[in-house]
Amino acid sequence: MFALSFGRLLLQALPKQPVTPRATAQCIRSLTTCQQEPLKKGDMPIKMENPYKTPPKTCILCNITVDFRNVQLLSQFISPHTGRIYGRHITGLCGRKQKEVSKAIKKARSMGFMSVTLKDPQFIKDPDICGIKHFE
Amino acid sequence: MPRYELCVILKAMQRPETAAVLRRTVETLLERGAVVRALESLGERRLPYKISKHDCRHTHGGYFSVDFHASPKTVSELLDHLERDIDVLRPTVLKKDTELSQAQCCGGNVRDDVFRE
Repeated sequence: MFALSFGRLLLQALPKQPVTPRATAQCIRSLTTCQQEPLKKGDMPIKMENPYKTPPKTCILCNITVDFRNVQLLSQFISPHTGRIYGRHITGLCGRKQKEVSKAIKKARSMGFMSVTLKDPQFIKDPDICGIKHFE
Repeated sequence: MPRYELCVILKAMQRPETAAVLRRTVETLLERGAVVRALESLGERRLPYKISKHDCRHTHGGYFSVDFHASPKTVSELLDHLERDIDVLRPTVLKKDTELSQAQCCGGNVRDDVFRE
């Protein structure tokens, strides 16, 4: 403990002088030539849009109007066994579309277009969007 | 005048009777000063669930859609009238909203940890 504090005292005691590198003429030349090249006008980077830009991520119902009459489309987002609406983590829809689909399904149910407790048998063979694995 | 849409399910009947019911409905609308824009048939199909109406359990019905302009007072009267009609199973009047702005759908709100393959 005492050694450490002694060491610190010694360091503080030494005169603080900045260590400057010995700048010779040759050294200066080499330093300056690297940095100051004459700027050629045709060599500047061309301003362009990022060519590797990924397209904006969209959900599957992007730019598709959701209607309560389109029972086949709405049936793709309900369970075939119980007719329950799948949540956002299963359908993968964005917030806006999930709400639209949910509202449309409820509207269709109350108006007599879509069944409540099951999925219409003619739509069971439709391609699976949600990819949920049911307990077999 | 605001624009409405009447989606009505009629009892499964023969063609002349269905025509008579639709005629009655449209005439009721016109009497009360509505402007009927279009009348479409969405086909006759099996109902998604059995509907009990006017002392009868129905399994099939004809779906029709009427597009019209009317005042809000007329709409409530119309619904009243349709509820009393024996041949009408389920009348629903919806307001036809002006097209929602389709600007910037999604825009990257999709989650990466979605439960899909």
